[in-house]
Amino acid sequence: MRTRAPLAGLLLALVLVFVGPAAANAQSSDQVKKEAKELAEKNGGKEADVNCIGDLIDGKRVDDCHKAPSPILPPTNELIWGAISFVAVFLLLWKFGWPGIKAGMNARTERIKSDLDQAEAARTEAEGVLTEYQAQVADAKGEAARIIEDARQTADAMKRDLQAQAEADIAAQRSKAASDIEAAKAQALADLRGEVATIAIGAAERVVERNLDPETNKALVESFIDQVGAGRN
Amino acid sequence: MILGLDFPPISHAIEWRDLFGTHGAFAINKVVLLMWLSVLVVAVFFFIASRRQQLVPTGVQNVAESAVDFVREGIIMQTIGKEGLFYTPFLLTVFSFVFVCNIWEIIPGAQMPVNARMALPMLMALLVWVIFNFVGVKNQGIRYLKNVCFPPGVPWPLYILVAPIEFVSTFLVRPLSLSVRLFANMLAGHLLLISFAVLSTALWNSTKVGAVLPGALLIGLTGFEILVSALQAYIFTILTAVYIGGAMHPEH
Repeated sequence: MRTRAPLAGLLLALVLVFVGPAAANAQSSDQVKKEAKELAEKNGGKEADVNCIGDLIDGKRVDDCHKAPSPILPPTNELIWGAISFVAVFLLLWKFGWPGIKAGMNARTERIKSDLDQAEAARTEAEGVLTEYQAQVADAKGEAARIIEDARQTADAMKRDLQAQAEADIAAQRSKAASDIEAAKAQALADLRGEVATIAIGAAERVVERNLDPETNKALVESFIDQVGAGRN
Repeated sequence: MILGLDFPPISHAIEWRDLFGTHGAFAINKVVLLMWLSVLVVAVFFFIASRRQQLVPTGVQNVAESAVDFVREGIIMQTIGKEGLFYTPFLLTVFSFVFVCNIWEIIPGAQMPVNARMALPMLMALLVWVIFNFVGVKNQGIRYLKNVCFPPGVPWPLYILVAPIEFVSTFLVRPLSLSVRLFANMLAGHLLLISFAVLSTALWNSTKVGAVLPGALLIGLTGFEILVSALQAYIFTILTAVYIGGAMHPEH
């Protein structure tokens, strides 16, 4: 489609070249090409197609003229711009993007590292506190047991003391009671002895109707009682 | 006209007119415009990502850091090791630039992968060739050539075969395969999409119903080409890293 207009120009140019015999002989090949191109352009031919005229006049084929550029070989402009682009993007990234990102990522790494270190330190500290606390609890338990044991021993000692005291008191009271009884008994015996002597004297006086002097009587009776008492004991 | 389809010649699918009246060595065409746009996209993207660095990354920063992390952990640490981290900006540039240049393939309005033209793959492959040979000579000195051609652990008579093969594969085939792999994959994908688009249009104009299957395939292939764009960027970058790593540490 796009080759139709230039081809028309081309045909026209060829007609010019071959129909004008005098001109063809006289003019040089370059001049013919120039005029043909100008005519083709005047008729609306595009640059790439117009350039074909020269090739055709040189005896080349239409296929040579319209041969597509290689899809593999890179054109110069893309090579140059490609090189500039790569260098530009590398420099921009290296100078403006990379330092910030690197610093940010390193800062985060440091932060995480220090946070982990802190957490580790806190854990160690907590473990220390726990151990200390456990030791204190164990101490307290030991202390409590010791206090209870002391109290128990004290109570035992007090019990033993009180018991001994009570026994001593009982023994003292018992001996006191015994001595009191002994004293009362002696007293009673003495009283009884006097009473008996008096009664006996009276009775004897009446019996024998002989009044001895009281002193002699008393002596007589007491000796009698002694005899009696000795005999009863 | 093939089977009633007006299929454009390949040159029409990848050759673009010079624009703005430019000619010659600095002529600007669609591919050049897309190169500029790619530079702009990559540079602006990483610039924005680096501007407001937050402790918990979101949005652009998140994507950019994922890309950095991918290049650093997924490519460099796997192929070169820690001493390769120096090359992170370069490999990050290669990865992101190749990817953006590829992805124009499926962006409506652009629909032309820059790497379906030989210029950029060839330039980058040559640059990679220069870099990995420079690294090799810098790290191993003159023995670099010997280490490449005479890998250890080969019985000596085999060196007659191995040495020329290693030489050719390292110094001649590597840049060629690196560039042609990228170029050919993108060109093939581009032509594939064009084929199905042309087919769908033709069948829509004639039968309507007949366009359903090629239309569905066109959508599927568009998704597939996103994968190919990313994959080719990854392959180009990881091979670059492998070449640099190989030049850094001779085989033991």
